[in-house]
Amino acid sequence: MNCVSDYAHSNEYNSFRSSVPLKTIIVDPDSSKGWKIYDSGPRSISTPLIFLPPVSGTADVYFKQLLSLGAKGYRVISAEHPVYWSVREWCEGFRRLIDYMGFYKVHIFGASLGGFLAQKFAEHVSSSRRVISLFLCNTFIDTSVFSYSESASLFWMLPSVVLKKMVMRNFNTSDVDSHIVDSIDFMVEKLDSLSQQDLASRLTINCVHSRVNPEKLSYVRMVTIMDVFDECALSTPVREKIYDCYKNAKLAHLKSGGNFPYLSRSDEVNLFLQIHLRTFEGTYLSASDNKDCSLS
Amino acid sequence: MASRRKLLLKIIILGDSGVGKTALMNQYVNKKFSNQYKATIGADFLTKEVMVDNRIVTLQIWDTAGQERFQSLGVAFYRGADGCILVFDTTSMNSFASLDAWRDEFLIQSSPKNTENFPFVVLGNKIDLENRAVSTKRAQKWCQTKNNIPYFETSAKEAVNVEQAFETIAKSAIALEKEEIYNDFPGDIILDRDNKPNNGAACNC
Ligand SMILES: Nc1nc2c(ncn2[C@@H]2O[C@H](COP(=O)(O)OP(=O)(O)OP(=O)(O)O)[C@@H](O)[C@H]2O)c(=O)[nH]1
Ligand SMILES: [Mg+2]
Repeated sequence: MNCVSDYAHSNEYNSFRSSVPLKTIIVDPDSSKGWKIYDSGPRSISTPLIFLPPVSGTADVYFKQLLSLGAKGYRVISAEHPVYWSVREWCEGFRRLIDYMGFYKVHIFGASLGGFLAQKFAEHVSSSRRVISLFLCNTFIDTSVFSYSESASLFWMLPSVVLKKMVMRNFNTSDVDSHIVDSIDFMVEKLDSLSQQDLASRLTINCVHSRVNPEKLSYVRMVTIMDVFDECALSTPVREKIYDCYKNAKLAHLKSGGNFPYLSRSDEVNLFLQIHLRTFEGTYLSASDNKDCSLS
Repeated sequence: MASRRKLLLKIIILGDSGVGKTALMNQYVNKKFSNQYKATIGADFLTKEVMVDNRIVTLQIWDTAGQERFQSLGVAFYRGADGCILVFDTTSMNSFASLDAWRDEFLIQSSPKNTENFPFVVLGNKIDLENRAVSTKRAQKWCQTKNNIPYFETSAKEAVNVEQAFETIAKSAIALEKEEIYNDFPGDIILDRDNKPNNGAACNC
């Protein structure tokens, strides 16, 4: 693509790319597979907040969170997985990643597929209680909400163009404000940069039938569910299902923001994130080195 | 408009430390009250779904720290506020005297489109206590001079007038929202003024 989105050539994005290096961490026997990692904020913290991107996204889609929260003393990490074809494989891979990075317990932020995987991981490690808290953004608890489960077994062989079309179908560009337009432009660029294998494997995980078992997640100390009240890919019943699942969750609604509020409404999202993390400040589970807990 | 969009209203509670902001929010949302005082740090929020004018509305209620004033909260905090609840303690003259400053700061920080008609309510809290320092008359007078802000005397402890106060702010916020929608489409002829609750006389209990 020769046209670059507004976000991609913003000062903010450039300052992110020049201050936070992209690292690749290989935790699988197949050494061509690596996690892509941006790591920001104090290294002394070993209970960080880890961001998991949506289907269409790469690790840098959270640059606004990493910049702002990193500067406020939070250790914030964005982690994009290599090609994994099943939830189980993903969970094992993620566990090896945090083991490798030296984290026993983590906070996780996940959007769409990232949010689903965050919940599946919390379930996967329920006996060792490794997930301190979950911040779920525009996400779901059951892949059957997507109509593709029948054909998911064929995704691996579909051409990129077809897969990209499947994802883009959900990007609503009519009747939205300029921030949302910018966020979509940026995400389309990210989507374009993904390989056929990346995309096919993510969509497979997204659509093969699987659901979260909320009972196994009762150990998670805090859950915030964020969603937008304007148009987005998820219908109201899907959102209500997730509220039902987490009766004690904090509901962080945004009036608007589209599918990617962490880009289009980043300062509001960052405020909600701080309120979420503040619960743990001053304890051994804190994601920040702040001694006082003000929201400055 | 075939499908009515779900409505989210952002309501911010302000007032001096210790006047009962957190207690009022907890009474309204969780129907709970605690005598123990734990100062709020920064800000926090709770949500509640309510029926207003036959419509399901989600209230996002923001509780703030009386100690901190505004310095520590960013602009994101005030963005898109639909209503503001100003609280004082009826047993503390100082907390009443601060109302002006809280109101001014709110208007400066949130710079709403419509400063004149922005939905406020004033709550004189802790009326269950004996040692009253601010008279009803005095509080009402202040409210009148500020464009007739509705005034309620509340007790978070005994759940007096708490529901009514929140309902009133929700109603005026919805009314303002409607007005803004009409103003965005100047071609529209019919202004449904009848639905608009009369701000000035909403309640003087
Ligand atoms: N008797 C009585 N006590 C109340 C009432 N409302 C609050 N209190 C008490 O007043 C104290 C302060 O209440 P809070 O709700 O924590 O005050 P706040 O305005 O949130 O204070 P900050 O968080 O510091 O800004 C607590 O001990 C409450 O129990 C009330 O209606 N009646
Ligand atoms: Mg408080």
